Amino acid sequence: MDRTNSVSSKEAAFLHVTNPQNNGIHLEMQGTNCRQPQNSNITGLRSPDSGENSDGKWASRLLIECATAMSEKDSTKIHHLLWMLNELASPYGDCDQKLAFYFLQALFCKATDSGQRSYKTLISVAEKSHSFDSVRKLILKFQEVSPWTTFGHVASNGAILEALEGEKKLHIIDISNTLCTQWPTLLEALATRNDETPHLKLTVVVTTSIVESVMKEVTPRMEKFARLMGVPFEFRVMNGLNFLGELTKDSLGVQEDEAIAVNCIGALKRVDVEERRAFIQMIQSLRPKVVTVVEEEADFSSSRNDFVKCFEECLRFYTIYFDMLEESFAPTSNERLMLERECSRSIVSVLACDDEVDCAGDSERRERGSQWSVKLREAFVPVGYSDDVVDDVNALLKRYRTGWSLVLPAGADDVGIYLTWKEEPVVWASVWKP
Amino acid sequence: MVEIQSSSPSGVSPESAEATVSTSEHQIAADEPVTTVPIKKQRNLPGMPDPDAEVIALSPRTLLATNRFVCEICNKGFQRDQNLQLHRRGHNLPWKLRQRTSKEVRKRVYICPEPTCVHHDHSRALGDLTGIKKHFCRKHGEKNYKCERCTKKYAVQSDWKAHMKTCGTKEYRCDCGTLFSRKDSFITHRAFCDALAQESARSLPTVITISEGDLKVENVPAAAVKLLEPSPPLPPLTPSTGVLSPVLSIQSPAELPENKTMQPGSAALSTLVTNTKTTAATTAAFGSGGSGSLGNAATTNGLFAGILTGSTSSELSQSSIQPTPYSDLLCAMSGSKRTGNPIDPMSLSLSPALYPSNGASALFSSTSQDHQRYYASNSQPALSATALLQKAAQIGATSSKSSLLGLAMSSSYDLLDNASTMASSTTGRPMLWNHQVKLEHNLLASGLGLGLPSSSTPGSNDLMLGQSTLFDNNPTTLDFLGLGMGGSEVVPSGYSAFLTSIGGGLDMSTSSFGGVNTARETWDDSSDGKPSLLR
Repeated sequence: MDRTNSVSSKEAAFLHVTNPQNNGIHLEMQGTNCRQPQNSNITGLRSPDSGENSDGKWASRLLIECATAMSEKDSTKIHHLLWMLNELASPYGDCDQKLAFYFLQALFCKATDSGQRSYKTLISVAEKSHSFDSVRKLILKFQEVSPWTTFGHVASNGAILEALEGEKKLHIIDISNTLCTQWPTLLEALATRNDETPHLKLTVVVTTSIVESVMKEVTPRMEKFARLMGVPFEFRVMNGLNFLGELTKDSLGVQEDEAIAVNCIGALKRVDVEERRAFIQMIQSLRPKVVTVVEEEADFSSSRNDFVKCFEECLRFYTIYFDMLEESFAPTSNERLMLERECSRSIVSVLACDDEVDCAGDSERRERGSQWSVKLREAFVPVGYSDDVVDDVNALLKRYRTGWSLVLPAGADDVGIYLTWKEEPVVWASVWKP
Repeated sequence: MVEIQSSSPSGVSPESAEATVSTSEHQIAADEPVTTVPIKKQRNLPGMPDPDAEVIALSPRTLLATNRFVCEICNKGFQRDQNLQLHRRGHNLPWKLRQRTSKEVRKRVYICPEPTCVHHDHSRALGDLTGIKKHFCRKHGEKNYKCERCTKKYAVQSDWKAHMKTCGTKEYRCDCGTLFSRKDSFITHRAFCDALAQESARSLPTVITISEGDLKVENVPAAAVKLLEPSPPLPPLTPSTGVLSPVLSIQSPAELPENKTMQPGSAALSTLVTNTKTTAATTAAFGSGGSGSLGNAATTNGLFAGILTGSTSSELSQSSIQPTPYSDLLCAMSGSKRTGNPIDPMSLSLSPALYPSNGASALFSSTSQDHQRYYASNSQPALSATALLQKAAQIGATSSKSSLLGLAMSSSYDLLDNASTMASSTTGRPMLWNHQVKLEHNLLASGLGLGLPSSSTPGSNDLMLGQSTLFDNNPTTLDFLGLGMGGSEVVPSGYSAFLTSIGGGLDMSTSSFGGVNTARETWDDSSDGKPSLLR
C-alpha cells in the first residue's frame, strides 16, 4: 500500500506490535477471521449480535472510535482499532474500505506524529506520478462525470461575464487549481456573445509544483485556443509563490484601465487560517469589479483544536465525496482512484499536521460558505446570481446524472448558491463586489 | 405607449392596426416622428424597394398584442377580426366579414417603434406585419421562452420552437476524433486537446486570416465555431443513434475499441455483400444495424455504383484498403443522405473488420507520407466498395453519423475549399459547410475508386471516435481522403487528377442526389424547413 512509503521501521514495529487481541469486538469482516473477545476493554463499539454491521457503515464507526481513543490517549484502544482498520481497509474496495484506508493513514500519522513527513512523501509521490497528460485526462474526465468543479466554473464565468459587460480590457486573476479548465468556455462566450470582443488578460496564480509544471503545457494551449476563438489574449502564470499568503498586489501587475475580476476557486482555503483576512484585504486592494469565490462546503477550521470534532467533520465531508466519486465514475475507473489518492494529502494535512509547526504547503482547512461570508463581508458586498446564470447552472446539472441539485440562498442574509449531492451541500459559490 | 388613432367607422377596437390601415386616408400616430401617411418614402430594406409604400408606425402595444379580438360570448381571443367574425357565426351572433378594400392597395411597410433601432428609420422599414412584430419581439421584447436544455432564451415562440427541434441533437467532434454531446465538455476538451497544437500549423484561411487581420471579430467566432461544430444540426436521434450517442459521448477511448472488435470480418462481409434489404438486425450492439439500411441504399444508389465500378476491384478484404477512407466515405455518404433510416453508426465499424489493414487507422493519419501511399496503391475492391458505399449512403440522419461525417470533414478544410469551388453555389460560410457536405459525399463516393492507403500510423484499428489517440501527441487528422493536414498543399498531382476525373461524376451525383433524396423518405429536416439538400 502507499501508506508503507511513510512508514519507518519504528512505525512498522508499532503496527506489528498490535496483536490481534480482539477486545470485545465481534465483527463480520470480509473474509477476516475473528477471534472471540478476550476482554471487554472496548465497550459499546458494537452490539454483541453484530446486527449493526449489516448497514455497512463500519468504517465511520471504527474511525470515530479510534479518533476518540486518540484524543483520550487510550493507547490500547488505539492500537486495537488501528489494527482492525488496517485489516479492513483497502484503497480498492468499497467506500467504507477506502475511507478506512485513507483515514487510517491520517490517524496513524497522528499517532506517530509523522504527519509532516507523510505529507511531504505524499507530495513527492504525486509529483512523480503526475504528468500533463495524466492530469489533463484526470481533470477532464472528472468534469465530464461530475459537476463538482464545473458548477463553480459556470457560476463564476456567468458572474464575471455579466459584471464585466461592456468593458474593453479585462483582467482576470485566477487563483485556483483548476488548471484553466474554467476558461475555454469563458473565451468562447466572449467570442460569441459580445458585439466587440474585449481584450482579455489572464493571470494565473500557482503555488504547487505539480500545478506549475502542468501550467507549462497549459500556457501554449490557452494561447492557441484564444487565437482560435478570436479573443485578443494575454496569458501569464505567476508561480514564484510558496504560499498563497505571499501574494501581493504589486506582483500581480494590475493596471489602472483594466476591469479586474478575481476568481478564487478553492483558493481561500489554501491560505493559512491566520492570514485569511489579510488575504481578502489584499484582494480588495486590487480594486476588482467582481470577485467570484467557490469553496467546498466543509468546516475544518473552527474545530481545528478539537481533534474529534474536526475528525468527524472531515469524515463526513469525505464520505460524501467518496460516495459521489463512486457513483459518478465507472467502477473500474482509474481516474477515480487517482482522485481518491489526491484526498489523502488533504486528509493527512488536516488531521495529522500541526498548522503552526508544520509548513507543509497550502492549507486545507476548509470553511463553510457562511463562515467565508463573514470574512468576505469585511471587504466586499455579496451579490446574487442573475436568473440567467442560475438557469445556466441548472442546465449544467441536467447534463449529469441524477443526485445533483442547486440550492439558492434561503434567507436574506444567506449568500451564494450551493451544489448539493444527495441533498448534502458540497460546493458553495458566491459573487462579491466592492 | 402610443395608441393608433383611427377614425375608421368599423366597430373594431382602435388598436387594430390592420383595420385602421385598410383605409389609406387614416392617420396613424406613432410615438416618434414617423407619422404621416401616406409618405412617399425612399427605398425600404434592400430587396423591397418601394418608394410608394405606405409607412406604418405601430405602437409597441400593438406589435406585442395577440388575440385582441375577443368573442363576447366565450372570451376566445383571435388575432384577426375576420377570424372573430367567423367564430361569432358559431354563436349565432350577427357577424360581418369585411371586404378587402377595393381601392388600390398600397404596399404597406412598417417601422419599429423603438427609436434606437435601425428599423425605426423609414428607409429601413420592414414590409411584413408579421415580420415587424417578430422583429420587435426579438430585439426589444422580453425573452419569455427558454430552452430547458441549454438555457437559450427567445422572445418569439416560433423561434423557440424551432430551436427546441434541434437543441440537444447537435454533436461536436474534435479533430482528435472524440465526439461530444455536450458543448461545454467539447469546448474544454478542444482547448486542451493535442489536436489543437496542429490546428495552427495547418493553413486555415478562414480562421487564421481573420484572427490575424483586422476583420470584424464576429466573423471569427462563427468560423471558429464552425471549426468546432462540424456537425450540422440533426434531426432527433433515432433509436439506434440513441444507443450510440451515449457511448460516443463517453470519451474514453478504451470503450470504443471494444465495441468495434465485435464484428467479425466475415460476418460483415456477408451482410454487406448481400445487396438486399435486410432488416436492421443488430447482431452486436453496434453491429450490422446499418447493414439493412445499407441494403436499402443499394437499390437506390445505382448512381454511386456506376461511379465506382470503373475504378474498384472486387476483393473486399484486400489489406491494401484502409478502413479509414472508406469509413470517411461512409460518413460522407451518410451525412449527405440523411434518410432518416435508423442508422447504426457503429456499423461503420465494419470497415476495419472488412479491411484488415496493417492495424493502422488512416483516419487519423496526419502525415503526407500516408497520403502519398494512399494514392500509390490503386487496388480497389470493386463490388464490395460499391456495396459498402450504397449501404453507407443509408447511414445518415443520425447525429453520430454526421459526427462521423464531421470526422471526415472537419480536418480537411482545404479540401472543402476545393470542393466548394466545384460546387454550384456557395452561400457563405455557414451554408458552405452544409454544401460541402454534399459535395464531399460525391467526392468521397468517387474517391473510393482511388486506392486507399495501405498503411498508416500505427494505432487502433478503429474507425470509432474517442480513440486511444485521444490524447496522443499524434494528431489525428481526419481527412476523409487520407490527405495529410493542409491537404491542398500536399496534394499530389494524383489528387488533382482525381478531382478532375470525378468532375463528371460529381455533377451526376449531385443531380441524382436530389433524386435519391426524394426517392426515399426524406430526412426530417423540418427543424428548419429548408430543403434537405441545403442542410
